[in-house]
Parts: sequence; C-alpha cells; structure tokens
Amino acid sequence: MSTVRALVLTGFGLNCDLETAHALQAAGAQVDRVHLNELSEGKKKLHHYQIFVVGGGFSWGDEHGAGVIMAMRIKHRLQEDLLAFIGNGGLVLGICNGFQVLVNLGVLPGFATGSFRRQVALIGNDCGQFRDQWVNLIPNTSSPCVFTQGLESMEMPIRHGEGKFFAEPGILERLREGNQVILTYARVEGGPAKGEFPFNPNGSLEDIAGICDPTGRVAGLMPHPEAYIHGTNHPDWTYLREKLGRQGRPFPHEGGGILLFRNAVNHFA
Amino acid sequence: MAARLEIALKKHLFDPEGASLRRKIHDYFGWRVDQVRVIHVLTLDTDLSREELELVRKELFTNPVTQESSCNTLAGDFHWAIWVGFRPGVRDTAGSVAIEAISDLLGRTQPPQSAVYTSRIYLLKGDSLHNDQVETVARELLANDIIQQWRIFSPSQMDPREGIGIVIPKVVLEHRPAVEQIPIPSDEALLELSRARNLALNPQDIPVIRNYFNRPEVLGSRAKQGLSLPTDVELEAISQARSDHCNHNTFQGKFLYEDVHNGQTMVVDNLFKTCIQAPTLSLQSQNDWVVSVLWDNAGVARFDDEHNYSITGETHNSPSNMEAYGGALTGIVGIYRDIMGTGKGSRLIAGLYGYCVGPRDYDGKLKPHLHPRRLLDGIVEGVRDGGNKHGVPTPFGNLFQHPSFLGKCLVFVGALGIMPKKVLGEPTEEKKCRPGDLIIMSGGRVGKDGIHGVTASSESYSEHTPAGHVQIGDPYTQKKMHDFLLEARDEGLITFITDNGGGGLSSSIGESCTFAGGAHVELEKVPLKYEGLDVWEIWVSESQERMTVAVRPDHLDRFMELSRMHEVESTVIGRYEGTGKLHLTYEGKTCAFLDLSFFAEDFPQWEFEAQWVPPEVRGLCEPVLSEPADHGTLLHHLLARPNVCSKEWIQRQYDHEVQGTSVVKPLVGRGRDVPGDAVVLRPVLESSRGLAVAQALNPTYSAVDTYHMVAATIDEALRRLLAVGAGLAEVGGVDNFCWPNIQYDPVQNPDGKLKAAQLVRANWALRDLCLAYGIPLLSGKDSMYVDGHLMGDFGVRHKISGLPTMQFTATGIVPEVSRCQTMEVKVPGDLVYLLGHTCDELGGSEYYDALGYVGLHVPVVDVHENLRLYRALETSIAQGLVASCHGIYRGGLAVHAAMAAFAGELGMTLDLRRVPQAHRESQTSPGKDSFGFSCTTQKALGILSDHKLLFSESPGRFLVTVKPGNRERFEELFEKLPWGLLGEVTDGTSLKMVGLDGSLLMDEPVMGLKHSWQKGSQ
Repeated sequence: MSTVRALVLTGFGLNCDLETAHALQAAGAQVDRVHLNELSEGKKKLHHYQIFVVGGGFSWGDEHGAGVIMAMRIKHRLQEDLLAFIGNGGLVLGICNGFQVLVNLGVLPGFATGSFRRQVALIGNDCGQFRDQWVNLIPNTSSPCVFTQGLESMEMPIRHGEGKFFAEPGILERLREGNQVILTYARVEGGPAKGEFPFNPNGSLEDIAGICDPTGRVAGLMPHPEAYIHGTNHPDWTYLREKLGRQGRPFPHEGGGILLFRNAVNHFA
Repeated sequence: MAARLEIALKKHLFDPEGASLRRKIHDYFGWRVDQVRVIHVLTLDTDLSREELELVRKELFTNPVTQESSCNTLAGDFHWAIWVGFRPGVRDTAGSVAIEAISDLLGRTQPPQSAVYTSRIYLLKGDSLHNDQVETVARELLANDIIQQWRIFSPSQMDPREGIGIVIPKVVLEHRPAVEQIPIPSDEALLELSRARNLALNPQDIPVIRNYFNRPEVLGSRAKQGLSLPTDVELEAISQARSDHCNHNTFQGKFLYEDVHNGQTMVVDNLFKTCIQAPTLSLQSQNDWVVSVLWDNAGVARFDDEHNYSITGETHNSPSNMEAYGGALTGIVGIYRDIMGTGKGSRLIAGLYGYCVGPRDYDGKLKPHLHPRRLLDGIVEGVRDGGNKHGVPTPFGNLFQHPSFLGKCLVFVGALGIMPKKVLGEPTEEKKCRPGDLIIMSGGRVGKDGIHGVTASSESYSEHTPAGHVQIGDPYTQKKMHDFLLEARDEGLITFITDNGGGGLSSSIGESCTFAGGAHVELEKVPLKYEGLDVWEIWVSESQERMTVAVRPDHLDRFMELSRMHEVESTVIGRYEGTGKLHLTYEGKTCAFLDLSFFAEDFPQWEFEAQWVPPEVRGLCEPVLSEPADHGTLLHHLLARPNVCSKEWIQRQYDHEVQGTSVVKPLVGRGRDVPGDAVVLRPVLESSRGLAVAQALNPTYSAVDTYHMVAATIDEALRRLLAVGAGLAEVGGVDNFCWPNIQYDPVQNPDGKLKAAQLVRANWALRDLCLAYGIPLLSGKDSMYVDGHLMGDFGVRHKISGLPTMQFTATGIVPEVSRCQTMEVKVPGDLVYLLGHTCDELGGSEYYDALGYVGLHVPVVDVHENLRLYRALETSIAQGLVASCHGIYRGGLAVHAAMAAFAGELGMTLDLRRVPQAHRESQTSPGKDSFGFSCTTQKALGILSDHKLLFSESPGRFLVTVKPGNRERFEELFEKLPWGLLGEVTDGTSLKMVGLDGSLLMDEPVMGLKHSWQKGSQ
C-alpha cells in the first residue's frame, strides 16, 4: 500500500490535533499537524495530502458562533485550494468544532459541489450548557460516506456546547433523500433517540449527529472518534474486561473510533 | 462612526440561553417568567463605511440559517428588557475577536483606537413581573457591578428607533505617565504611605526598607542614575516582592507554640523549611524519580524513561469571591501558565479544581457579596470555560459546602503537564537566563487590570478591598501562546520562561533576573491595552495571558517568526544583565535602580503566638446518641446531603476526555454518573503507562484537630490512587493550605493564637505523613486570610473565618493501564471485603454533622498498619484478583457501600458482625523542640454499635469485591492484616445490612438510594 498522507489542522484554539493525529497514524496514515497559517501562507500545500481533518476545539474561542470565524478565514484564504482538494478526490473530515467549521463554510451539506453556501447550522444545545457524555450512534448503512462505511452501531463521546443540528424542513428532506445523514443518536438499547435527552444530548433535529456531502468524501460529525482510540477510553471498560475475563476472552485494546480513520486510509489503498 | 449590531435567533427557534435564564430565575427566586429571549449586541467603535458594515453584519455576524440581525433594534415583544454590558477596561474576548475577524474579512487592519464591545439584551415576557423583581434578576443573576453595567427598560422606556442606544465602554485616561519620587522621612511616614497606596507593607519590614535607601553606597549609586528618593515604581516593586502571597512570610515565620493543657512551650522556626522543604529534600535524595522540586513554577517528576510530568496547584479565593466567573477563569488559566512556565515549558495535560463555598441553599441573615448558589455557578462556569477552551481535560475536583466559607470562598485550581526529558539534548526541567539574553513578553497586553491583586489577596475581604483587581481570563489567547511556546521550546529557542501571574512583570522579571544577576527593562516598550498607565502600573499590572521568556539574541528572529505565525504578540522589553541591579527605565530615564541583594536581605521574620487548646479543653465531647430507629431513612438522608450527594452537574460541564488520554473517568459505573476514587490518564498515547490523580479535603476535622485533618486528607488522597490501581512507590503530593488570619489581635482576631497553633499542627502532620508514606511535596502553596466581614441584621458586620483547610493532591504511576480498577461492584456472587480497622472515629464526620454535632473522636491515621495493608492491596489489584475497589471516605461504610452498589446497579448484602473493629490510641507529645505523634491500633471486639460501624470515618479502609474463585489467593495476601468478609454482591435490587444482633438493619432498594443521592444536588 502506498503512503496515505493526512493533514490535521492546528492553530487558533483548535485542540484535538494530537489524538486525531495519533488515531490517523494508528489507522496507517502518515500525518502532519499543520497550522492554518502555514497553509494560507503556502508553506504547506493541501494538495500534498489525501486526507484533511479539521478537528475539535474552540477556534477563536467559539466567539460569534462556533466555527464561524475559522470558516470565514478558510473561505477567504484557502477557498480554491480546498475546492481543488475536494474536486481531486481528497477526503475531508470535520469533527466537532471542525464540523461546525465545514457547516459554516458551506462545504457541508454541499448540495451543489464547487460552491460554499450555508444551509444547515449547529447551534446551542437545548440543555443550555456544554456537555461531556458518551452517546450511542447508529450509522446510516445506505450513506455514501467514506468514513462510516461498514460501521455498526457504536459509542463515542460528545463534548460541546453548540451541537444541535438545525436545518429547515426542505433541507432536512434533501439530506434524508440523498442519504447524507451519516450518524444519528440512539438509545442505549439501540432504537433511535427520537429527540429524547440525554440519548440525543443536544436537541439535534432528527437525531442527526453527522452528515456528508453528496460524494460521501466530505463529512462532519459532532461526536469524537479520536477520543475512542484505546479500549480503555470506553466508560465501561473495566466492567467489560471483567465480563470478558470471566468468559476467558481478552479485552480489546483498540477503540472503535479508529474505524472511521481506517476507512479513510483504506479508501486510498 | 459608532454603530450597533443586534443579533438574535430567528423567532421560530428555541433559545437555549433564554431558557436557561428562565430556569435560573425559577431556581433562584421561585418566580415564573413566560419566556426569555436573548439578543447579542455588538457595538462597533470603528471607521467602517456603511457598505463595509453591511458586509460584516451579513458575512461575519449573522448565520443566515438561524439568525436575524439589524443595525436597529430587534427588541419587539417584551415586558422587560435588561441590557448588560462590561464596564470600561474589562476583558472582552468576544469584542477583540470581532476586531480580528473584521480586519481579516476586509483585508485591512483596523486602526488601533477602534474596538468592538459585546453586550446582551435579555427580553423577558411575563406580565406579573415587577420592576424590583427585574432589578433583582439583573443584579443577582446577570450582572456583577464590579465588572458589568446594566440597565432596565420597560417597552415605553425603549426608544423604538434607538433601542438601548450606543454605549461605548472605552477606557480613556487623561493622564500622562509619570514617575514620582517619594520622601520617607520616618517609619511612620512609610507606614502611612503604605496604607494610603495599598502597599500592604508589613510594619516589621519598614525599617529595613528605609535603611536600604539611606545607605551611603546606595545613595551614591542611585545619584549616578539621577535618583535620590525612592520612586513609586520602586516602592510598588518592593511591596509586591514582600507580599505574603509572593514571599510566604507566614510559612517562613517563627511560631511561639504553647500547649495550654500541659504548659509545654516550644519555638517552631519556619514551617516551610521544617515541614515542607526538609522532608521533600530528604525524599528526593532517596528517589531518582523526583526530578525538580521547590524552586520552579511547578514540581517535576518522572513519568517514564522519556517523559517527566509537572504539577502544581494554587488558590484564587479573593478574586473569585468578588467576581466568581472571572476570578475562577483567571485562576485556572493562571495555573496553566505555571505549567507552561515550568522548566523550559511543559504541555498541559489536565486541570483540577476544588471549591469550598457557603451552603448553596443559604437563607440566613448574613449578606455575602454573592450568594453561595450564584457564586458556585459562576466559579463552575469559569473553570469550565478556562479548561474547555484551552483544550485541557478537567477530570477531577472537589466541592465542599460549609457556612464558614460564606466570608470568603475557596477556589483551588491545579494543573498537570508533560514534557520530554530532553529537548535537543538539554534537560527540559532546567532553565537559566544569562546576561545578554533578551527579555521578551509574549501573549496579552498590559492594562490597569489586576493592579494590587497580590496585595489584596494578602488581606481579608472588606468593603474597602479594591475592586480593580478582578479580571476575566482569555483561554483563546493563551491557547495560541501555549502552542507557540511549545514549538519554540522544541526548536531550542527558550533559555528561560516563567509566567506573569501575581505581581506581573515585577514578579516574573524580579525573580528570573536573579539567575542572570540583573536586568534592564525599558518599560515604554511594554505593549499596552490603552494609553495613560503610570510607569509603576506597567511594572506591577497583573494583566493575564502573558509569559516572560529569555531568548538569546541569535535566536530572536526565529522566535519572532514563530510568534507571528501563531499570531501571538511578542515584544523585546529588555535584557538580562550581570550588574547585580534591577534597572528599570522609562523613555531613557531611570525609574528604579535596586540591588538584587536587597530582596534577599534580612527582613525580620514574622512572628506568631500559637496557643494550642486541645479539643477536650475547648469543651468538645462526644454526643450522647441512641441507636437510630430507622437506619435506612438515615442513609437516604446522608446520601442527599450537600457534601455527599452527586456532583454530576459540575463534572458533565467539564470536558474530561479531550486529548484522548482518559482511562479512568471522573464518572464511572453502569449509569456513568458516580464519582470514581481517582482519575487515570494515559498522557503518552503510544504508551500503556498511566498517571493517576486524586484530591481530598476534609475541613470539618479541623474543628477537632488540624493535625488529624491533614493526616486524614493525605491518607484519603493516597487511598484514592491505590483504589484505581496506582502503585505506592512513586506517589507525589501537592499541599494547598487555606487558612484564616493567624496574627493574634485582641480585638480583630481574638482567636488568632489558636488558628496559628492549628497551622503549626497541620504542618506537623504534613511532615509526618509525607515522610511515613514516602510522598515528596512536588509543589504547594498557601493562601492566608480566609476571612470575610459580612453584614447581618441591625447593620452589624460579622467576621466570618473559614475552617482551616488543606487540599491535598496526589499523583501516582500506573505501570500498565489495562490493570486499572473502578469502584462499582460488577458481578453478582462476588465477595465483599472490608479492608482496614473501623474505630470509634466520628468526630467531624458527616453523620455527626447531620445531627448537629462536632464530636471529639476525630479519625486518626495509623500509617504503619495502613502501609502493610496498602502494599497487599496494590499486589492484589496488580494480580487482577480484585473486581472492584473503593475507599471509604466522608460518610463512612454505609454511604460508600451504597455508592459502590448503585454504581454497579446491583444488590449487596453486608453483615456488620464481620467488620474488623479496633480501639485506637494516639498521643501527641510536644517536646522542647520537636513534636512526636504515636498511635496504636488494637484489635477489639464489640466496642462499636451499629450506627458507629455504619458511619465511622476511620481512615485506611477499602471496600473490595472479589470473584469467589480468587478468594484463597486474595485472603492469603492479607494474612495477619485487618479484613472482614462482610457479604456478597447480589443480583437483587437492594442493599441489605445485618446488624450486630443478627437482625436485618436495613433493606433499601439500591436505585432508591441512588435517587436520594442525585436529588441532593438539585
């Protein structure tokens, strides 16, 4: 397999870059953490990479709307590079603050490729607060999303104050029809959360936790796959170890979040 | 041209911010409001054209999907509108981010005088609301007069076109910076000057200071610089350097200790040296994992062969007491800078917190500046934003409520960092600035904020306390600086680094220049937020988010290039020199010229009279209580009490998983909502080695004896680490003392001698326990003057002193994280063991407190018995013999067994007849110049009744569950140690306890107990 190169964006208050880089490495990619200004000043080139991740954090302190100012920056300084990157088959993943950036940038939901238009929003949680909590998620098996291919229902943490997915009914319908919804919040036992707190932790419409563009190569999600890179990240792991141990089975070292990154790397394999 | 933008969610969208306020109004005051909606206001003091303004409004500040905005007012349908904005000079991060974004969008930098100010309008609907209720909401919930201004509008009071109008809280200082030379002809004159200028000089220091300035050789060298009398810059610098906060005069003081009971007296010379420094140095000499202690911003210990970790903790009590959100936020980002400034810089991996406040439901007569409920909400949110926006997990903390903290709250903040052992071959924990190195200030700019913060925290809170020292931290700016400085460190560009916290440049440069042997600072080069600061203000301002860095001249270009790339402001403001002088100039003229040797001069040691009155002599005794008739209901009651109940509402707001390092989370169990004993991090993602962290505080034991308060607290912190699987071998500690004023005054502080004796005894315990358990103090700090003067009925002001408190933070190494354990019971049929002796030790306990007593028999730590038990426990967890492990802390066996059961959502049956009981005898014997403590624990049968077995807080105990198949191996490890097989985990739904007479003492549904425990936090 040839080397797959991934770029994890840093700077201006983004903060999940180390574990995101670690997850991509564990999935087999060669990773660089690159400051936004290194890209906009041309010191690093987006087209040298195949995977571009805008990860979690508080870019510009979340002031004036989470992801808004980072989106404006990228739009004015990197628009062409980013469009070319997507057009040439690159993968873009936005996690949490990165998802908010992609949505404000308008590459998501990206109904019309090649243009930036804001059509959906991630707004303040209904509970009124930042919240750190593990959620159950159901992947949409019909989605073209590269990252969630073959995933089964899974758990990941959410950690945000502005994660409520909002769009007007017409947009929601288009998302549904195009299978652009990639992950939805679920109850612990598996059924859809149907908006019920805390299973749906933020009040997202239609329990939407993540979406992709029509190509499936640009995706964003509020939960943090990079926070589930080790089996020991899971909140119940000591219990699972005990249960498995008594059945004579080993406890898995790898966390389920790695799968999304492995899908991305394998896409180029 | 000034303009105002109003931005709001579209009307058909749910407004969570408004809904939160509506809920809060109900929670705080019981008033129902039909609806609250929030308008975000940006007031632009810029030169934007109409077209540019429109572009900015649409492109930047309005989300077309969810928001509407206008340059006119959006306030339409309301009964009351409350506008809340900042006062001039208060840090407005959103405002400065707005200017940054506007410059970026328009592609031109805004002129320096332009600014954006953010504020909010709250639109309240509810036709029964009165004007005075709305004022209460504004004053008690929304605005704090210290930092904010507010106005109330009824619909008729608001101009339909102008709305709230245009308010520009710009700082305008019509002042030309000057340097004043001040005569100090007599000691009295200097004392008076100290009072008038708020210098907080200790009277004992005054002759030393005057003497220095009158020395012929000093006069001579000053004359060459054009100076004769001391300048205001110099006196302010001396005030900072000598403050108790910076200098720890109390801990370095001399205590004349007397035990009134036996008449013995002794002189205790310097608590810091004898109880902190000496044991730590002795432990460091025996343990190579203790890398760097007692001098830097934080202590450094080995994590693995390639990494060290750094840790420190401090308090931010006074500022938080006045402005809870800003004070706590400034506190947490401030302690982060200590980690960033440790060695050549370390990367943040965790933040920690501890809050002691008055009762959240306080409805007594005293009037604290902020009601405890509001105070706590503000503190919780401040640390939340500081941690979350910095990308640092905040996984562990404490909350303690007690009326003694109405006078002044305690806000403990702690932080951990990690650093590679070496960068470019140089040890990272070492740093030394040399003559010729440039002095660079990086990060934020300097304003009037925070002036005299250090001296204010060295005083108790009164109506005269200057309000100007309250600030609001800016984690965004600091996170950028954090990332930048780590890159600079890794390129070898930093020779020395330290943070600007208390005392600002005067502390950071004043302390660092002793390494080089002097410094020359050109104060006009320091970038300011606004013009008009006096020179001394520039030198002592505590404006946040600044680091002082020493860089070699040949590294300057690269350092500045990196700084520019990260968009962090860095400025060369001077140079380290070998002159032996601290030399400050302003526009070429000398304004301070002080010998460094002066700061190390023999200032008189502070002296304290310490008079120990043993608790029984103070009249404390055990309460006379019958056995309760209903143990089950009692347990429900205890679980719901403020210092036992769930704190999930805090823990959930804190990102405790960012960086992907979480192994044992703050919340565990099937419901993921019960606090674990400690947290475990995997700071190096590639490694399976872990770092366990826990904290403990037990202020109520101080009411009996602070020796045992400290001993029990250290023991608790250590047990917390052991419970999750950390080893005993490499445990580090951080002590944070918070004490009321200990200087005796017959009128102002009549019990000062006792408080001083309590401090001495607390330190003895710190020394004894650290030596016995082998815990070096990696870092620590003290904060005195936990006193407040609160107005009560009849216009009487009351002094309220906080209970003597020490929070202890402990860190331990987990060799292999996959062996960690958590506290919840896991499998039905597992055996439940109680490890350790239970004694008649309920003094200061939760149980006695619930019944309104203090008691006398405070928990006593038997370190020798405990150590043997702890070693066996460590082995049993490492061998995987244990299925759950939980220490028994405040509340005793019943409370903690209930927690382990409801965390596992399983039943449990326990037989109290099998609890290992003991009689503990302890003795303290102060001699002429030493203090001895001895303790024996004698196994005893039938000395404790049921309720004492259930609620005793004897230290040294754990509740452990074991798979039946591991029984023999487990029991073998604990041979000759105190343990009892109390019962088993059941797949039933209730917690059953069999009493000493063999009858069923309680049978309570486990989830019902959990419900009580959760209800307590509402």
